[in-house]
Amino acid sequence: MDAPELTNPIYFAIVLFVGLTVAEMIFARVSGGATFEPKDSAASLMMGFGNMVAGVVFGGLIGAWFIFVYQFRFFDVPFAWWAWIIAFVLDDFVYYWSHRWAHTVRWFWADHVVHHSSQHYNLTTALRQPWFGVLTLKWVWLGSALILIGFHPVMIGFVGALNLIYQFWIHTEVIRKCPPWFEAVMNTPSHHRVHHGINPMYLDKNYAGVFIIWDKMFGTFQPELEDEEIRYGIVKNLGTYNPVKISIHEWVGIANDMRKAGNWRDAMMYLLAPPGWSPDGSRATSKEIYQRWKARQDRHAGSAGEGGEARLDLAE
Amino acid sequence: MLLLWVALGSIAGIGLMVLLNQRLGLNTPAQIASLEDAIRHLDTDQVGFTPGDAVLLADDGRSAVVEEAGTGRLGLLAARGDGVVIRYLGPGSVKSAKMGEGRDIMLRLDDFTFAPLTIQLEDTHEARHWADRLNALQA
Repeated sequence: MDAPELTNPIYFAIVLFVGLTVAEMIFARVSGGATFEPKDSAASLMMGFGNMVAGVVFGGLIGAWFIFVYQFRFFDVPFAWWAWIIAFVLDDFVYYWSHRWAHTVRWFWADHVVHHSSQHYNLTTALRQPWFGVLTLKWVWLGSALILIGFHPVMIGFVGALNLIYQFWIHTEVIRKCPPWFEAVMNTPSHHRVHHGINPMYLDKNYAGVFIIWDKMFGTFQPELEDEEIRYGIVKNLGTYNPVKISIHEWVGIANDMRKAGNWRDAMMYLLAPPGWSPDGSRATSKEIYQRWKARQDRHAGSAGEGGEARLDLAE
Repeated sequence: MLLLWVALGSIAGIGLMVLLNQRLGLNTPAQIASLEDAIRHLDTDQVGFTPGDAVLLADDGRSAVVEEAGTGRLGLLAARGDGVVIRYLGPGSVKSAKMGEGRDIMLRLDDFTFAPLTIQLEDTHEARHWADRLNALQA
């Protein structure tokens, strides 16, 4: 099937990215409604630049793989208007699962942690992207799923780029809430702030790319709460702004843990179990952090209840 | 050749954006206001942190060390820009803790994601005590 010649829309979007980021900085200056740290911004922007370079370096390999897989497609999906819409929605569905596994399998987290490693949440954070995504090998299987069904690689590449462009604007504290109908269906700054939060109740929530409905369907949705101020970053925040160290730190961590593991099972668990897993339980996964926090909340609620009863007794 | 120009243009653009960020003065350096503030940070981070007797707050309010009761671990807080980064120090965590400029402690951890930290102190005796304590955690 002949594919139309399309330019990667991200190239055009870069102008938008720069313009909106500068506007957000000026807004932050005028209103104080956003926070920036120059070193953090520099690191994020350099990560974005490195990600583009990685795209050039590894793009050929991944593209060649997609063209190879396309030979074995089950159907021939045409370049019709409805096919573009279906491709966009299905690509976002695949993105949801890819993103969910990026948080729950340490091998994939090693790549995605880069995006979460800033303690700030502004438009530069959107550009803080990994350099070694190719090492996750997700493109070999998950990235090829829609192509194997019969969507042309050009179509999947294009809608994937649109998906990423959509996700840029939601990395901001400037927009508090969108209209209710929009918040109900689409991923928004409010929903995505929750995703970047390290508050125990916000960990591993709101994986959506464009449509928040996937989180609602699969039980990972968490609305932003007024009385729960969001702390951004990762559970063990980085004490460096060095882009190279940011890029490789979790890969190095996995390699060190696997090297020191007592047996093969533990070594594989360090690679494939959720981030924070350890054989002796000396570290904590997101689930364990949440359970610890929930138990504490319940204890506090219990003791507040007992206190309340005691006060009631005194009143009587 | 085009790629090279795009790369150079991107780097120049990044430089200008960072410069703008700096010129607009958008960041307020983080301060650890008190030991209570340090303990509150640790308690939130760890979802439960019981402080022990040994505590240290740097004179510039940019770092603090709090011993954890029971475990003996040291909770280290370091201001990085306008945020605070936390590490829990046990045996093997410290690469070196040297006295510098008379009373400051130059701390290096065995953790490449944690840039060297200077703990500013006024009291030489206190600085020496904490340098020894931190050095005891070397591998």
